[in-house]
Amino acid sequence: MLMLVGLESCSEDILQEKPRSIFSPEFFKTELGVQGGITFLYENMRHLYGHEYYFSLLETGTDEYTYAQSADNNFLVPDLSGAGAAIQSDTYVTSIAWNTVFPAINTASGIIENAEAVELDESLVAEARFFRAFNYFLLVQQYGGVPLDLGSGELEFNNTAVRTSARNTVPEVYTKAIFPDLITAVNNLPVNPRLTGTVTQNVARLELAKAYLTYAWWLENPNNIPTYPETTRTDPDGHDVQWYFQQAYDIAVEGIENSGPYSLQEYYYDVHLGSNDRNSEWMFYADRTEESQIYNGADLGYSGGGGSANIAVWMATPNYTTISVDGVAAVQREAAQSYGRPWTRMAPPVEVLTKTFDNKDMDSRYDGTFVSSYRGNWDKAGVKEESITGANGLPIELGDAVVSFLDEHNPNVDYVNGANIGGGVIPGRADYVINPDEINRRFYPGLWKLGTYRTDNQGGLGQPNGALTRPFPIAKYSEFYFVAAEAAVKGASGSYSAYALINVIRARAGNWRFDNGEQEVRIADFSDELVAATPMNIDINYILAERSREYFGEQKRWLDLVRTQTWAEVAGTYTIAGNAATDHNPKQFTRTIEDYHYLRPIPQSQLDDLDMSEAEKLEYQNPGYR
Amino acid sequence: MIQKLQTNNNQHWKKIIFFLFLAFTFTAQAQNSVVGRVADETGPLPGVTVLLQGTNRGVTTDFDGNYQLSDVPPNGNLVFSFVGYLKEIVSVQGRTDIDVVLKTDMASLDEVVVVGYGTQRRESVTGSVVSIKGDELNEVKTANFQEALIGRAAGVNIQTTSTRPGAAPQVRIRGVRSLSGNNDPLIVLNGIPFAGGLSDINSNDIESLDILKDASSTAIYGSRGANGVILITTKSGREGQEATFSYNTYYAIKEVFSKYPMMNAAQLIQLRADVAANNNGVPIFGLAGDEDLANNTDWQDLLYGTGLQTTHDVSVQGGSEKGTYNLGLGYFKETSVVPEDSFQRYSLRAQVDQEVGSLFSFGLNSVMNFNKTSSIVGMYGALAASPLLSPYDENGNFLSSVRRQTQSDDSWIPTRNEIGRIGEGRKNQQLDYGSYNNIYAQVRIPWVEGLKFRINTGLNFRSSRDGNFTGRGVFNYNEANPSSGSYNSSNTRDYVIENQLLFDRTFADKHQVNFVGLFSAQHTEYDGVNLSVRNIPNEQSLWYNLDSALSEDITGYGTNYSATGLLSYMGRVMYQYDDRYLFTATVRSDGSSRLAPGYKWVTYPAVSAGWNIANEAFMENVDLVNSLKIRVGYGQTSNQAIAPYSTQGRLATRNYNFGSTFATGYFVSQLPNPSLGWEFSETYNYGVDFRLFNHHLSGSVEYYITNTNDILYGLGLPATSGVGNVTSNIGETQNEGMEFTLDGTIIDNPDGFTWDAGINLYYNRNEIVSLATGEDRNEGQLWFVGSPINVIYDQEYVGLWNESDPDFQYQDILEPGGNVGMVKVRYTGEFNEDGSPVRAINADDRIIQDPTPNFQGGFNTRLAYKNLDLNIIGTFQNGGLLYSTLYGSSGYLNLLTGRRGNVDVDYWTPTNTDARFPAPGGIQSGDNPKYGSTLGLFDASYVKIRTMTLGYNFDRDLTSKVGMRNIRIYASAQNPFVFFSPFHDESGLDPEITNSSEGNRNAATGVGNVSAGIQTIGANVPSTRNYLLGLNLTF
Repeated sequence: MLMLVGLESCSEDILQEKPRSIFSPEFFKTELGVQGGITFLYENMRHLYGHEYYFSLLETGTDEYTYAQSADNNFLVPDLSGAGAAIQSDTYVTSIAWNTVFPAINTASGIIENAEAVELDESLVAEARFFRAFNYFLLVQQYGGVPLDLGSGELEFNNTAVRTSARNTVPEVYTKAIFPDLITAVNNLPVNPRLTGTVTQNVARLELAKAYLTYAWWLENPNNIPTYPETTRTDPDGHDVQWYFQQAYDIAVEGIENSGPYSLQEYYYDVHLGSNDRNSEWMFYADRTEESQIYNGADLGYSGGGGSANIAVWMATPNYTTISVDGVAAVQREAAQSYGRPWTRMAPPVEVLTKTFDNKDMDSRYDGTFVSSYRGNWDKAGVKEESITGANGLPIELGDAVVSFLDEHNPNVDYVNGANIGGGVIPGRADYVINPDEINRRFYPGLWKLGTYRTDNQGGLGQPNGALTRPFPIAKYSEFYFVAAEAAVKGASGSYSAYALINVIRARAGNWRFDNGEQEVRIADFSDELVAATPMNIDINYILAERSREYFGEQKRWLDLVRTQTWAEVAGTYTIAGNAATDHNPKQFTRTIEDYHYLRPIPQSQLDDLDMSEAEKLEYQNPGYR
Repeated sequence: MIQKLQTNNNQHWKKIIFFLFLAFTFTAQAQNSVVGRVADETGPLPGVTVLLQGTNRGVTTDFDGNYQLSDVPPNGNLVFSFVGYLKEIVSVQGRTDIDVVLKTDMASLDEVVVVGYGTQRRESVTGSVVSIKGDELNEVKTANFQEALIGRAAGVNIQTTSTRPGAAPQVRIRGVRSLSGNNDPLIVLNGIPFAGGLSDINSNDIESLDILKDASSTAIYGSRGANGVILITTKSGREGQEATFSYNTYYAIKEVFSKYPMMNAAQLIQLRADVAANNNGVPIFGLAGDEDLANNTDWQDLLYGTGLQTTHDVSVQGGSEKGTYNLGLGYFKETSVVPEDSFQRYSLRAQVDQEVGSLFSFGLNSVMNFNKTSSIVGMYGALAASPLLSPYDENGNFLSSVRRQTQSDDSWIPTRNEIGRIGEGRKNQQLDYGSYNNIYAQVRIPWVEGLKFRINTGLNFRSSRDGNFTGRGVFNYNEANPSSGSYNSSNTRDYVIENQLLFDRTFADKHQVNFVGLFSAQHTEYDGVNLSVRNIPNEQSLWYNLDSALSEDITGYGTNYSATGLLSYMGRVMYQYDDRYLFTATVRSDGSSRLAPGYKWVTYPAVSAGWNIANEAFMENVDLVNSLKIRVGYGQTSNQAIAPYSTQGRLATRNYNFGSTFATGYFVSQLPNPSLGWEFSETYNYGVDFRLFNHHLSGSVEYYITNTNDILYGLGLPATSGVGNVTSNIGETQNEGMEFTLDGTIIDNPDGFTWDAGINLYYNRNEIVSLATGEDRNEGQLWFVGSPINVIYDQEYVGLWNESDPDFQYQDILEPGGNVGMVKVRYTGEFNEDGSPVRAINADDRIIQDPTPNFQGGFNTRLAYKNLDLNIIGTFQNGGLLYSTLYGSSGYLNLLTGRRGNVDVDYWTPTNTDARFPAPGGIQSGDNPKYGSTLGLFDASYVKIRTMTLGYNFDRDLTSKVGMRNIRIYASAQNPFVFFSPFHDESGLDPEITNSSEGNRNAATGVGNVSAGIQTIGANVPSTRNYLLGLNLTF
């Protein structure tokens, strides 16, 4: 009894809370907290780069991709070809960026604000500045003007429960946030990365050059695309369009000449070879790891999508697992770069194979981008057969092509629904073949460059259903050449011409060490031929085509077309056959791309959470989506 | 009562005169001494008054029930009376040895009501209290008392949240009121707030259950009582009771109530053909992979078996002159129709009360339990499996593993055979141990009559361990899928100390005063640890050697801690004048650790009054009315319904790798709120209780309004604020409802036929009165001012598009890309002058749909003839909406594309245009038909017989020959029938929900358009129909 009374005497204490297993925001003001804030800025990139629907948003509806047979609204809608509903404020895919980056912007402001108190090194503060600019740049390209004041003042860390918002204009976002932050970042970031994949001076240079280039296009506005909130196309800092193109050029050339730890790979094939990930050409990426599920942020065994999982490539992978030859499921789902988990949500239109990548023999980038042959791997599933009987009664051995996409149209292809996936037969070949101009939404070349890479298959099929453990590229060293070339096309001048810059890229593309489609060594150098084929007068369309060859499927295409205001022109129509594997009669589809589509709608969830009048909310929304 | 006493007084005088007369007449006769023993069904009864009729001469029985009364005339009558028993009058007829067995008085037994910190006679209660006896509760045999409560108490809504064995349902008393806070009632076990799992209490141990519904009654529990209070009293011995042993058991067989209505092979093939017709002649999903037209597999048949449910309960209870005890042991086991789904509970109960000297008494009441739960396989795999697949190889033998491929899915399909074969390859074992102990000491203050001091201590402990193991390639299409294991362990430690000052005294015969003063402190600590890994080298180790995996194979780990405290001061006065005017007032102060400094303490009052009209003089001659009482109550309570540390804000963590360097990132996900305070509820309660026709009919009617203010919730902030949300005091809700209860004895013939029946009926309407300033709707949370807390916010299904529709000409405008036979939803927009709609149907056409039932309730009836009795208990609901994820798009079982197993639905074809479900292969939204979410809504009305029991009590003569006091056998059918249910008509399934997602928002129900609190029926383990045989023995 005495003990009980004794217990009571300390009872007032039981009303005091001591958080132990959670972090309260106070921790963010400590040194470790601020450093953790920087880590979060990197991690947050995962929620965009490799995210399957964000991947769709920036690819489906461009000339690179259309929806495929198993597509849902996340693909049908952005395709704008009438198969899905119109893009509206409650469309999920267009809300992803908006709903992902503001916490990062706020955290970056918090780091900048708390840096002094915890004596944070200027180079670390510069990383925060880089990310704040990067995220604002991403928003301004998709939504137009966005708020710089999150609730506690312009570019201040917000810690108040604010439920109103006001959008700044596009030039304000560039000149108040993006440019000053990136200039500081270029000045204060180290030349070499602090840790694997952290940002450096040159990464900031590339972003700054791209931001100048994009802003210059915006100021020029060649096709009269409206902006919002409405504003005149004059620069608050008093510079003209040409000044910004020249800045883009100058900064990009500075990046090329002061490359730091970055360089071009000798072969394009090596740029995206899984075993060569994080190579010298990759400047910035959203990293993932096979070494720990916890730090990978997504299931290594069986993963859904969303969040930080990298499953983008599954969208662009056709369901090859239904391939069946001689009663054998010849191509099994395998955790390897040419295979992976097939979701069949996105397909490249015919023009990708016939126009963008027309020179498949010399330009190694087709071979280093796509899966052009699906090859037998049935042994890994425990099927004993040494070989199976393929087309023309000929044997297909393990590792041989079962179905191939031909480089060029062959009029002799006889479609016999070969391999149960609509394959055709040509004399003398054991594999079933499909003409490049006769692909359909059901079966088409997969996207090798982003494909699965694992080291734990132990000779079997491995775990193809786990989220990818590869980093997703955000910025590569090669892009300096493209940015400078594009600026040059737009009138910037200096020591390198657009022709010279593009030819650096094209010369590399002509260099072969391995044939991915044939899966055999191929030592060849077509650099001279490719350079010879480059037009002397490069125009913006050529730059865009070249960018597509270089960066196909890397979540850049929509931004490229919107920046250059060529979306409707380049992607207005496309050709592909239907949903059935046996359909080899392509049809042309027309997209309805209106001027207002160049801005994405402000997400409905944002409007719902605002404590503002209906009229103010209407005003907040971009025109065309009200 | 008064009336009776006066009647007695009149008779008294008459009898005294008569007796004097007799006395003179018979003085010459011999007067004998009579001895005997008084007992009830369970044993001797001490303290029974034995009175010689017509005199005031009497004695009381001693500890062993014995009495001796001298000078009894041979033709006199002895009156045996005792509280709670029917009065027995026995004529002496010259005997000198008279043994009597008293029968319990059912009408008076329920007169004692537990009201928290004391008991009251039913007559004196001024708040809203429902009482249920343990015996009534036990008429429905379930793992937990909540399920047995379904339909038994007006205003108490109980929803099953899972059909897994042992799963505890959710209890809502008078609806929900908190938006994101806890809406669970407080459970008080033997006077101490219960800290355990809701399946920890063996319903066989329950003596009585009292539910406090209105604020004037719950105010004594303050902030913990805002959602109502359930007071559970476990069985205890009685003073002077002879040791009594009882044994109760039953054995039940459980069968699937109804299989999920999935398409067979022919239907699926037809569906695919019909898909093709709407998809340019190409099926979206064709015959592929392992599918074969020759197969027609019913995967459910291959999975289900027979479940069982059984209990064994033994107890011994008794008492001495100054002490009582009760010891009980119980075992409960339940398995489901799905393999390896089981729940077992071992429970131990001990109660001891002892008076020491004339001033002190001490006691202990302890409940301990040990539960074992297992669950390894879900239903979805079997339902989604194509009937065109087969589990057999070409020789007709079971495949060693049912890994099958269709065009778009690689799946492993669960079958009973497969699960048996895998054995320990997949194992789940959750162990829970709980110990709930209440120790008290009480001292009577000798110099103030009626004053006592009591110290009550609750010491509770619960620990839980969950182990999971899946072997390599087990339950997975991929044979090489790595093994995985996890281990979770947590424990909760909780203490309560209450200092009580109790005063109870009657002044001048008419002024009854009862006072309780309380100071209490409560503290709860929780901590836990978990680890999960993959690639366990030796599969035999299950989850016991997780450290043998490589560190890179760790898939999760963590430790967790929380602590909360509550300090309270409370005073309650109950005053009663002459059994006519009743008055109760309570004041309580609470301090909670969960709230912000400066906002931690709150004080609130409650008052209630009652008038026993039947006890007034003017009612004296109204024989029809046995009792009639009017009650009015008002009370404030509050709710600290937020998770601990909510005021502090939160820094979320995210993990990242810089190449091979691992790091953890932080960002502010929730803002701190330094002024977070209490949520308040005010309740007005009005009630009438009555008992009529010589106690043959009793009942009550109640009406209440509860206003809840300063509601706590996580206010969503716009994305542009950079922070997710902040916990705030915002918003207001109102609950309003009526409750009716009626119990009657229709035929009452103790030697022949008796028939009792009862019904309860109630409704609760709930409305959000306001949200955050400027916010009249929160679409993210589906909260709308003027609508209930739980709603469906979606387009409204009005049928299917047909060419014959008058508005078909506008389909192109309303549904660009649409097709004939697609779902038609209501268009709520404007029209042009020519009558055409101005726009396409879009998110603006979503409307709020109210799922609240018109009324709900339960009924029970008991027919008895001599030793045979029949009990029937049922529940019903009128109106309201239920959401079935089986039919709606979130469940992926009604894709209507032929991709997977599909529910057998009546879908649109060109020749079947008035179907309910759309043309397959038409316009899609995601993987589902467009507006597929609207297909899951059904009228939730139903009438259901929950249980029918036929019992037989053996004759006492017979039982005493074998040394027994009582033998009862019974047979019971649970869930035998469902009527008037549109959902049941469509699906054949049980319309009682199998899943409520509140607090457990999962992928299947976290659909954007249905509130998390709404009842859903998904692909759960199917509900069952149970047949059981039981035996009760007492000796």
